[in-house]
Amino acid sequence: MPEFNVRSDSVNVEHIMEQIRARIREKRGVDYTEAQIQELAAARLEKYLDPNNVRADLLQEFHRVRSASDAPDPSEEVIDESVLFETHRPWLRALRKILRPILKLVLNTKALAALSLRAKAEVSRRSRDQLTFELVHNMVVEMTRLCIEVKNLTMRVESMQSRLEFNERRARALEAVVVYKPSEEPPIEPSPRPPVHDSRPPAEFRPRHENPRHERPRHESPRQDESSRQDAQAAPVASPSGGAPPSGAAPEGPGQRSRRRRRRRGRRGAGPGAPGTAPMGSQPGQSEPAGDSASPQDDHDSGSDAGDSDSDPDPQ
Amino acid sequence: MKLAVVVQRYGQGVHGGAELHARYIAEHLAHHTDVEVLTTCATDDVTWANAHKAGTEKINGVQVRRFRVSTASSARAVSRLSERVFHQTHSLADELKWLDASGPMSGSLVRHLRKHGDTYDFCLFFSYRYCHAYYGARAVPSRAILVPRAERDDAIGLRVFRDVFRGARAILYNSPEERSLIHAVAGNQDVPGVVVGAGADVPQNPQAGRFRQKHNIRGPFALYVGRIDERNGCADLFDMFQRYANEPSARLSLVVIGDGPLAVPTHPRIKHVGILDDSDKFDALSAAETLILPSRFESLSRTALEAWALGKPVLANAQSEVLKGQCGRSNGGLFYRDGEEFAGMLQAIEQNRWLSASLGQSGRQYFRDHYDWRVVERKYHEMLVQLQNAPPQHVMEPMPGWSARRRRDLEPAADIVRSLS
Repeated sequence: MPEFNVRSDSVNVEHIMEQIRARIREKRGVDYTEAQIQELAAARLEKYLDPNNVRADLLQEFHRVRSASDAPDPSEEVIDESVLFETHRPWLRALRKILRPILKLVLNTKALAALSLRAKAEVSRRSRDQLTFELVHNMVVEMTRLCIEVKNLTMRVESMQSRLEFNERRARALEAVVVYKPSEEPPIEPSPRPPVHDSRPPAEFRPRHENPRHERPRHESPRQDESSRQDAQAAPVASPSGGAPPSGAAPEGPGQRSRRRRRRRGRRGAGPGAPGTAPMGSQPGQSEPAGDSASPQDDHDSGSDAGDSDSDPDPQ
Repeated sequence: MKLAVVVQRYGQGVHGGAELHARYIAEHLAHHTDVEVLTTCATDDVTWANAHKAGTEKINGVQVRRFRVSTASSARAVSRLSERVFHQTHSLADELKWLDASGPMSGSLVRHLRKHGDTYDFCLFFSYRYCHAYYGARAVPSRAILVPRAERDDAIGLRVFRDVFRGARAILYNSPEERSLIHAVAGNQDVPGVVVGAGADVPQNPQAGRFRQKHNIRGPFALYVGRIDERNGCADLFDMFQRYANEPSARLSLVVIGDGPLAVPTHPRIKHVGILDDSDKFDALSAAETLILPSRFESLSRTALEAWALGKPVLANAQSEVLKGQCGRSNGGLFYRDGEEFAGMLQAIEQNRWLSASLGQSGRQYFRDHYDWRVVERKYHEMLVQLQNAPPQHVMEPMPGWSARRRRDLEPAADIVRSLS
């Protein structure tokens, strides 16, 4: 968790808690209230997400029920009260026909017939409601799935965004520590050694007291200036890295190599205070041929110089 | 001036919060005045069985007079009566039965107070919810100073305690939240009262390394000190900590000091070291990154004060009004409402050294300003002098009559407490 913005001797707990809670909200995404969380926890998602209850022929069923229930509403004009007296027994039908005026006198047969029709319509409506419920249910299922999917995608996007931001910061940090050389200067000699990397983390992740050192441009260092001067002097006699010399460039002869060795011995003999001793070894992979690295003294010098170039503060 | 400290249990082996509070107050006040402790022979706070002999003895230079408990308590009866008075419409007689069942009922202690009460200038009654405080305060109302140690639990809603809160000569609160709670329940704003609390005796040089070596503990850890049971929020604590420990950035372990009915889960990041003496406890506090206080019911957390005295931040349960208020006033701790906040706060304390140090520093200053023993003794002294110079302004309301006590017209105590929030 990163540092907080409060910087004072006396802390304010409320302020800190607000910041921590804001961070938790960011991490969590949506800030649900306790009641909403309880409601979500109480909901039985299995009930909605059970695919076994989804009917494949729901649409056909819906159409069928709809056509069956499309009958006109029972009204006074269309009610046929004769249905009340229907029966498959002829003698009973005859008896009812005889007694029909009396029954009509006692009962409101039209109302009874209307009730009968309404009962049938109610049964039809219930089955249609059932289908509507299933329809809504299926929509809820799909909505829930979509919501979960959207949530997952949102989280993935947030994750990728944070990774992207991290990579950008990392790239900036790496750019800040890279030393660029002039492009017109060819490398001095091919180096069979692996390049020496700074084992420390990028500047952004180092302790703050170290940062100003790395923010300072390298070319301001006198050692660096001297080193580049010597690189520039050595450039005319060096072959480009990559092994085979390019066309037009003379290969390095044994005389040149021995002259350089003598020059280096001369510098060592001048003692530690002699100018140019340390900076030469600061880039071991660029300035020494493979044969020279056999000397332990060379290795020691180059290693210590590399360390110095990173850790010594600017003398100015 | 002669003072009586009346408390349900007393002794060096008694580690209850109220009992320790009473002992420390008695021992510190004994440096300035004549103090006698009146207590029972019990050591168990469930059965209240007599474990000591009745009579007098000296403990750490303080005269202690023990009285036998006349009626042993039954947890089953307490549970049955609690259900009635907390959750059902009930009568005052039901509440009195609940109080008698909760114990410790010591007729000889109350008789002693009635008979010899005038030999004391004031009687300090600790823990309002037990028989000794209720009947004792009624026996000597003009000398009764209550140290209620009230928590926001259902018992505070019982009608039976309202008369004691209103009729006591003075009340010494542990925190402003406790005072507000009692004012809301009893409407006793005109009773003299002051927020005092208690100090803590903390060693000058606790040895963190000694604790780590003794218990083979490496790495940073959070600490819980206290009784391990559900009422103290330990189940939630273990659950939340295990969720926190599953996070990749979590570095803290949890060290648990204490004992109780709840089992400590087996987890590589949770270590239970059992009951420790004070020296080891302070070593542990000095080694810990933070002290966790998961309890919802607190009137004054002595452990929190000890942590602050050692410059350690605390992480408290926000459902405890007292702890939340203390963290806010002292700026010495954070509080959490749920598991996510618990993890977030722990990470904040663990990963931000300046935050941890600042919280600890603020807590230490808060302790010095309000809970140093010199401050506490001065507050006690000022209150006692003030009471000595002013005549009693209230009288304890008499117990209602036989039929009034049996009228079932009292609301459930839990409903009353709920209505306060």
